[in-house]
Amino acid sequence: MSDSFSRRSFLGLTGAAGLTAALAACGGGTKIGAGSSAPASAAPSFSGGEYTGPKVTLDYWNGFTGGDGPHMRAMVEAFNKEFSGRIEVRNITRRWEDLYPAMPTAIAAGKGPDVAIIHNDWIGTFAARRTLIPLDDVVGALELTEADFIPAVWSAGVFDGKRYSVPLDVHGLGDYWNREHLEKIGLSEAPADKASYADALAELKKAGIATPFWMPNKWPAHLMFMSLLWQHGGELYSEDGAKALWGSEQGVRALSWMVEQIDEGFSPPKVAIDTQYAAFKNGRVSLTWDGIWQINDLKANAPSLQWGLSPVPNIGGTPAVWSASHNFVLTSQAGKDPNKVQAAKAFIDSVSRRSTEWAKAGMIPARNSVREDPAVADLPQVGLAKDVGVFRFLPALPGVGDVQSKALELAVAKAVLKQASPAEALKEGVATADKLLADNKRKYGR
Amino acid sequence: MNLRSPGPRDTRGLRRALLHLVLALVAALYLSPLVYMVSTSFKTREGSGSTEPQWIPDPFSTGAYREILTSADSPILTWFANSLIAATGHAALVLVTAAPAAYALARLRFRGRGAIFTTVVATLFVPPVVLLIPNFLIVNELAWVDSLPAVIVPAAAGAFGVFFLRQFFLTLPGELEEAAELDGCNRWQIFTAVVLPLARPALVTLFLLSFLTNWNDFLWPIYVLLSPDSLTLPAGLGNFQGANSIRYDLLMAGAVIASLPVIALYLVAQRWVIEGISRSGLKG
Amino acid sequence: MTGPAPREEGAPPAGGDGRPVTVLERPGRPSGAAGPAAGGATRRMRWWTPYAFLAPYLALFAVFMVLPIGFGFWTSLHEWDVNLPAKPFVGLENYTELFDPSSVDGGRFWLAMRATGIFTLFSVPLLIVLPLLVALLMNGRFRGRNLYRAVYFAPYVLGVAVVGFLWRFLLDGNIGLVNHYLGLDVQWTTDVPPAWVALVGVTVWWTLGLNAVIFLAGLQDIPRELHEAAMVDGASAWRRFRAVTLPGLRPVTVFVVNATILASANMFGQSYLITAGAPADQTKTAIYLIAETGLRQFDMGTASAMSFILAACLMAASALVFGAFRDRSAR
Repeated sequence: MSDSFSRRSFLGLTGAAGLTAALAACGGGTKIGAGSSAPASAAPSFSGGEYTGPKVTLDYWNGFTGGDGPHMRAMVEAFNKEFSGRIEVRNITRRWEDLYPAMPTAIAAGKGPDVAIIHNDWIGTFAARRTLIPLDDVVGALELTEADFIPAVWSAGVFDGKRYSVPLDVHGLGDYWNREHLEKIGLSEAPADKASYADALAELKKAGIATPFWMPNKWPAHLMFMSLLWQHGGELYSEDGAKALWGSEQGVRALSWMVEQIDEGFSPPKVAIDTQYAAFKNGRVSLTWDGIWQINDLKANAPSLQWGLSPVPNIGGTPAVWSASHNFVLTSQAGKDPNKVQAAKAFIDSVSRRSTEWAKAGMIPARNSVREDPAVADLPQVGLAKDVGVFRFLPALPGVGDVQSKALELAVAKAVLKQASPAEALKEGVATADKLLADNKRKYGR
Repeated sequence: MNLRSPGPRDTRGLRRALLHLVLALVAALYLSPLVYMVSTSFKTREGSGSTEPQWIPDPFSTGAYREILTSADSPILTWFANSLIAATGHAALVLVTAAPAAYALARLRFRGRGAIFTTVVATLFVPPVVLLIPNFLIVNELAWVDSLPAVIVPAAAGAFGVFFLRQFFLTLPGELEEAAELDGCNRWQIFTAVVLPLARPALVTLFLLSFLTNWNDFLWPIYVLLSPDSLTLPAGLGNFQGANSIRYDLLMAGAVIASLPVIALYLVAQRWVIEGISRSGLKG
Repeated sequence: MTGPAPREEGAPPAGGDGRPVTVLERPGRPSGAAGPAAGGATRRMRWWTPYAFLAPYLALFAVFMVLPIGFGFWTSLHEWDVNLPAKPFVGLENYTELFDPSSVDGGRFWLAMRATGIFTLFSVPLLIVLPLLVALLMNGRFRGRNLYRAVYFAPYVLGVAVVGFLWRFLLDGNIGLVNHYLGLDVQWTTDVPPAWVALVGVTVWWTLGLNAVIFLAGLQDIPRELHEAAMVDGASAWRRFRAVTLPGLRPVTVFVVNATILASANMFGQSYLITAGAPADQTKTAIYLIAETGLRQFDMGTASAMSFILAACLMAASALVFGAFRDRSAR
């Protein structure tokens, strides 16, 4: 048996090939996989500004289902107005967890997005799956340079020497606090280091908040763990992407701190998914770490709650916080039509230029120069970005998402659920991660 | 256990009252989740997230329905249409393919009949999980991914319809067919003019069961339908969950919309559905 | 109606998949040569007529039933990612890896098989005993009987998506009705064993009516004379139940037990929607993992291998059930 005995000849052997072909005629759907990898973009290179081709419709997928959604929709509407009669962008929003698995299949089937927003850590995976086409010329036209970006955000978009993304924003974890609760213990802001955090929680408990700081075991537990790991001086993965390093002693200390919050009685055990945030909204929780994009949700859905937002406390010694960035990508589906490529580039170009508007959605503009713009400098989340050196990112290794979900997230969950000690959970998780990393190297290296 | 057992009149009456009490209590408990689903769908966003149970929405609001019916990201009317086309198409395809096949297996004599019937029935024992991945790949080869044929056609290959109808055809008296044959009808005419009208109850039952199964199918559509415009209702419902916050008012309104057709069908054809299902297990 | 997708329901689908219906065929009738009128009905017929009747169905059957079984096995011998051009042949490696519990996929797979096993073990007895009780209660001629039957059956006509989301709401740890009325503070969706109680409970609520109507039909098939004869003999209600009802229900019971085991072992939607596999993948069932591995992470070779191992286990379980009931009847 060899590769040459392919699936096609197998179909033929069974005598059903004729049938399948006949049935295919009545489909109207599409086919993905073999042979559908992107043709190198035949479109002329993009130099910014105008789109001169015939009218095209672009499908634009993103995962802005939260408070950020309406802002993105408004930006798309503004673009459609400006390019009315030439380019129409259809804004399609699905939850990230539904979007990512559907995207490679849908793109290959020609039913996916022409242009999409993806997180920095997915760029490598999608580029390796040949679902994206390079954007070097857009970056050139936008006059984007590495110097204007956080280096990790910038370099995440490069795969095999080509640039596949245009960063739109940066976002990360923040420490949300209940003003009323903190005032009870005489604080006007969330405590910023390990000792004062512990003191504050103890005080809050005395002040009648039974469990002031709920420790999740699902989302965003892994983001908290990664932040703490970096704070303790640990690293996630080796440079070459061959080894998981988060099982180090620093990792154990990071995870142990999370578990201690339960042991100390600051958190109930086995917190259900998302309930730490729901409880914060209901005024039952004093402090909770969550994404900065929740700002809009809190404004809209917890209008009576008095809250504030501080940087995540420095528990480990070195300030660090998990961050990510939303990036525009152009897909191989658009790559089949040079006009779509041009139109999509015009779209990316146009929206990127309005990143101040996007900042109002609760995001931090990716470009250093934009953050200094007085229009955004006063937004609460931009205040968290005074020192972008603390922003740390997941590396864009192909397949890293699988490693995270099958190994790291599971290890964190197991420890927080007390199914294993932090050290045991991490040891087991790292063993899994190393195997997956090796598999990925093989799989995506072909 | 036999409730008709003779006994003193009063104990029998008492037993009967007790039986009714138990059955009615359980029935009320049984339906209460559905009542709460409908109730929640008429609540405001705040009302649906309240920690105090509220059976009668206060304030009463149709906002959730208005919101989901006009949502740009979740085109629920498109999903409704998709579900309707898929379920009807699937049920029709099952009838059109299974009925003649079942008739041939029940009534006609031909070489290979035993082997074909055995093979078809044997697949009733094949756990359907083994079909999941390869059928995805086959549907992909056919370029059906993300389109309705993917949720209409493959499931019609199941052996149940053929088996169910064959068992029914076997119970029909053969005399009518013989008479038709003497009148000079050919096989196809006998099948369409004599057998199918006689088999109407079985055909209706099979249509209903196929429709229900397809309307409610979840596992297959969520993987084979990808873009928001191609989803069926069950696959689309999840879209009403936001980023780490669930809008239960929207979700319950969507669930009510997804349930209405099958509940309506059930109310109208309850006897057919139940008899069909209970009989399918017994007499085949 | 056997679909390309395994049924996610916790009980057999409306007349559905993998149903061992043949068990209940009249004994002694050779399956191929049945048909009371078969004799006279073959005179004027071209040789190809029967094949023409069969052709449309057999075409579907070949492409979506026979082909995938072979194709699935073929896939399981490869490292197969639909989105990557290279699909190297790996022989039985996918299988050996799954049988190695220390490997990544092996560990995940057996955890999922354990979840499927736990769910099946706890749901099947309840889904036999409770529906049987309900059927016995309703096996009489009294007013409102059909109404009760319709009510108990009603949840089953709803899809798992509706049932799953509805119960996730009712079981919510903070705003759920269940905790409120029981006066509890239990995390039904994220903690085991409560999550198992929730998943089994929801499934019983959803599919009890199905098994109940099948039992009811079976009860009504037991000849009245048998009961009456037993009564004349002065047998107590319990003795009549043991001596008449239970033996009379045997064929139905074999069918229900088997169909329920298969359906429970195919549980997907409840865990996907209510617990999402929490805590730490402990309620992620085998089908859930197979779908996730093959259709989300596109590791289709491993997923196919998993589905063949699961299928083998299910067929073994079916054989055991048949064996158990056959032994009893032989005694």
